[in-house]
Amino acid sequence: MTLKARRTITAYMMLLPTLILLAVFTLYPIFESFVISFFHWDMISPHKQFVGLQNYVQIFEDPLFHRAVVNTLLFVVLYVPIVMALGLAVALLLNARIRFRAFFRTAIFLPYVTSIAATGIVWQWIFNGQYGLLNDLLRQIGIQGPDWLNTPQDTMICLVTLSVWQSLGYVSVLFLAGLQNISREYYEAARVDGAHGWHLFRHVTWPLLSPTTFFVLLMSTIEAFKVFLPVYVLYGATDGPNDSGLTMLYYMFTEGFSDYRMGYASASAYILFVIILACTLLQMTLQRRVHYES
Amino acid sequence: MRKLFIYAALIVVTLFVLGPFTWMISTSLKPAGEVLTATPSLWPHPFEWNNYSTAWKSAPFGRYFLNSLFISGVETAFDLTLGAMAAYAFARLDFAGKRTLFLALLATLMVPGELLLIPNYITVAKLHWMSTYQGIIVPWLVSVFTIFLMRQFFLSMPSEIFEAAELDGLHPVRTLFQIVMPLTKPVWITAGLIKFIGSWNSFLWVVVVSNSQSLDTVPVGLMNFTSDVGTEYNQLMAAATFCMVPLAIVFLLGQRYFVEGIARSGIR
Repeated sequence: MTLKARRTITAYMMLLPTLILLAVFTLYPIFESFVISFFHWDMISPHKQFVGLQNYVQIFEDPLFHRAVVNTLLFVVLYVPIVMALGLAVALLLNARIRFRAFFRTAIFLPYVTSIAATGIVWQWIFNGQYGLLNDLLRQIGIQGPDWLNTPQDTMICLVTLSVWQSLGYVSVLFLAGLQNISREYYEAARVDGAHGWHLFRHVTWPLLSPTTFFVLLMSTIEAFKVFLPVYVLYGATDGPNDSGLTMLYYMFTEGFSDYRMGYASASAYILFVIILACTLLQMTLQRRVHYES
Repeated sequence: MRKLFIYAALIVVTLFVLGPFTWMISTSLKPAGEVLTATPSLWPHPFEWNNYSTAWKSAPFGRYFLNSLFISGVETAFDLTLGAMAAYAFARLDFAGKRTLFLALLATLMVPGELLLIPNYITVAKLHWMSTYQGIIVPWLVSVFTIFLMRQFFLSMPSEIFEAAELDGLHPVRTLFQIVMPLTKPVWITAGLIKFIGSWNSFLWVVVVSNSQSLDTVPVGLMNFTSDVGTEYNQLMAAATFCMVPLAIVFLLGQRYFVEGIARSGIR
């Protein structure tokens, strides 16, 4: 046996467990859910009825699905810019030469570590109209706050606040890692040229940080499209007042695991996947353009 | 002046982040009559330590913790071992089909885990693994993210290490576990932390796959507890607090490797 062949065998032996697990629990399911999406199936009966594109047609005609799409998009559009701007700001602050850095960093990261099942309960109460902390603080400055969790118009505010609070630490650590990868020499060179403050940020940090920014943008957009748990815990396993917290994943979850319409749920999961994929590809093309111009 | 602004800004952010935790702990120590008042004070009087033991006893939290520890522990151990082996193959071995395989692996990162929920549920049902530990654990034994993170790290190591090991006739598996792993502490602590935290907090899969209360993990048990005790906020907050503590400790122990592990792996 040649050396090359022997090496290939060794490599595949090392990869084998991983490849088997991924094939069974990732690759196969991707195709399986695509197939299921063309059937009517309640999971329990052995009979699957082929219905072609009917599930997809029905979903697109379902007003609740429209609601879910609008809610999800609204969440993405609000959450992504806020968490990115705040995350970058916090990373810049943490990157400065200051005392107690480890403390600040740990504190800000803490929510990301903790289970949303636990912290969701706290926020549920913070937003409580009568006894909540938020309205108590507002009362002290003379404002009568709304009943946050029972007012449909406020649902997105609650969801975005909880989500930003939870992910801020993670996003700033990613930005911080990016900032620390920028070589000091660039700053020194720019300072020699007389740049400082805002100019330093605009002409050195921002362009050199753009790969990180792009990565964070991609990750947080994908995450935002999949928002589910904040709704689930904040509204006690419901989709909020007047379906105002119904997101696409929530829609899929109820169709599949409450109503046992597996074909329908698989179709909606696939629609979500295609939307995320399209969004990722769009962002990738935009990124390539940005790099051309600079 | 500039320093002052930085500290002020950081303190504001920290207050926003730690505020809910502070309030949670303060409420967890209040007597029932003091919880729902119009202007609540932060300082409980008297301190009602009993809330903790009452909450602990009103649900099988000990069981939940053992379940979570077992499930997350097994998942993390497998993820790191198998992930390191795969990452080593991709970073340091030459073999036919490497590029294609690696690209295929990266592509799966884009697939939302939720797409896999229904088919994996069906697979687990077919295997008669519903409401079992293996049903909860096995689908999540490896993660592409860990492989990716470790591969980046192994690529950045000087190749002399690997060449010397090969000259000594060491099998790659032994090179990996005896030489490489001890040298790459930051990356496997980072990967391990991310996996452990993710697995400890995972919720949807456990809810979907298990109907048995004896398999419930900490987050699932806590959600059940919430609907059981309703608005007894002091007990709710006590339970939320003790559910949070172990993970916070795990994070505190590993956090100094965190930024380094992420920075050096080149996710940017």
